[in-house]
Amino acid sequence: MIRIAAVGDVHVDKDVEGRYRPALEQLPDQADALLIAGDLTRHGTVDEAKCFANEFGGLAVPVVTVLGNHDHQSDRQDDVTDVLTDAGIIVLEGTATVLELNGHRLGVAGTKGFGGGFAGACASNFGEREMKDFVGTTERYATALLDALRSVQCDALVALTHYSPVPDTLAGEPLEIYAFLGCYQLGQAIDDAPTALALHGHAHHGSERGRTPGGVPVRNVAHPVIKQAYNVYQLLSGTVDTKHEELVNV
Amino acid sequence: MTRQIDLEADIHRLLVEDDRIAEQGVTVHHRENVLVLDGEVESAQRRDEICRQISEHYPDLEIVCDIGLTRTQAPAEVEEIS
Ligand SMILES: [Fe+2]
Ligand SMILES: [Fe+2]
Repeated sequence: MIRIAAVGDVHVDKDVEGRYRPALEQLPDQADALLIAGDLTRHGTVDEAKCFANEFGGLAVPVVTVLGNHDHQSDRQDDVTDVLTDAGIIVLEGTATVLELNGHRLGVAGTKGFGGGFAGACASNFGEREMKDFVGTTERYATALLDALRSVQCDALVALTHYSPVPDTLAGEPLEIYAFLGCYQLGQAIDDAPTALALHGHAHHGSERGRTPGGVPVRNVAHPVIKQAYNVYQLLSGTVDTKHEELVNV
Repeated sequence: MTRQIDLEADIHRLLVEDDRIAEQGVTVHHRENVLVLDGEVESAQRRDEICRQISEHYPDLEIVCDIGLTRTQAPAEVEEIS
């Protein structure tokens, strides 16, 4: 089995440093990897990225992230990515990574994603240049996610986004803003690959559980939704694990 | 009624767009002369800053702050995905 810890929307700045650390120190007992679903910082500054790296770096398990809209606020997303990467944190954007955990291969494909709306209430690639740019952005992120999902060979495949791939996990948010919280194209990409689990954030007032039209479980792990430092999800239950010798000997 | 909704919208934009706040997860309800704020933020400083900024911009409003801090304890259970 593989246990994945996940949280999103931690919005770290100086005032948050130290708050997560006690729970993060327990991670090796709780999970094999930590996935963070964007909005890592408040305004996407380099200083905030350093605060995030202090709080979520140097852990005993691998940390995989995508950026969120807040991490783009200062137009320094490339510098933010560099700060995190230098701290040993994996940042995905239209890319994937494979982690070897307990003798299993966990594939994580990630993108920030974008809004656009859902079946019956979505924006169309039509009309003004601004509207076509908006929907073009939606489609670009969804295509990047599909390419990333299809690029890996693994035993369990997880899709990590900031924006939601389904409306189910937005329940609790005003209907009027669903189109700014996610898009069905991300859900389509998840369904067009052998995805085992989709994790997202962004919808602070949403709800935790949903499924894509193709039946893939979706979890909104935005911090105000899960109301704890991280949730833990277990994949590949009932499989035989091989452990590193030092772990067996503990 | 329209003015009341406009006020909620103005305050909502202040909460998101003011660099000292940048919160998208706080809801605003305005009744009579009372403004009720709801949601969760990551630190007590952020909650206090929200109330300070709104009082500064709207000195005549009475503010009820129901904003909580999001808890950061480790989980006690695991969900099996199938
Ligand atoms: Fe957020
Ligand atoms: Fe967000």
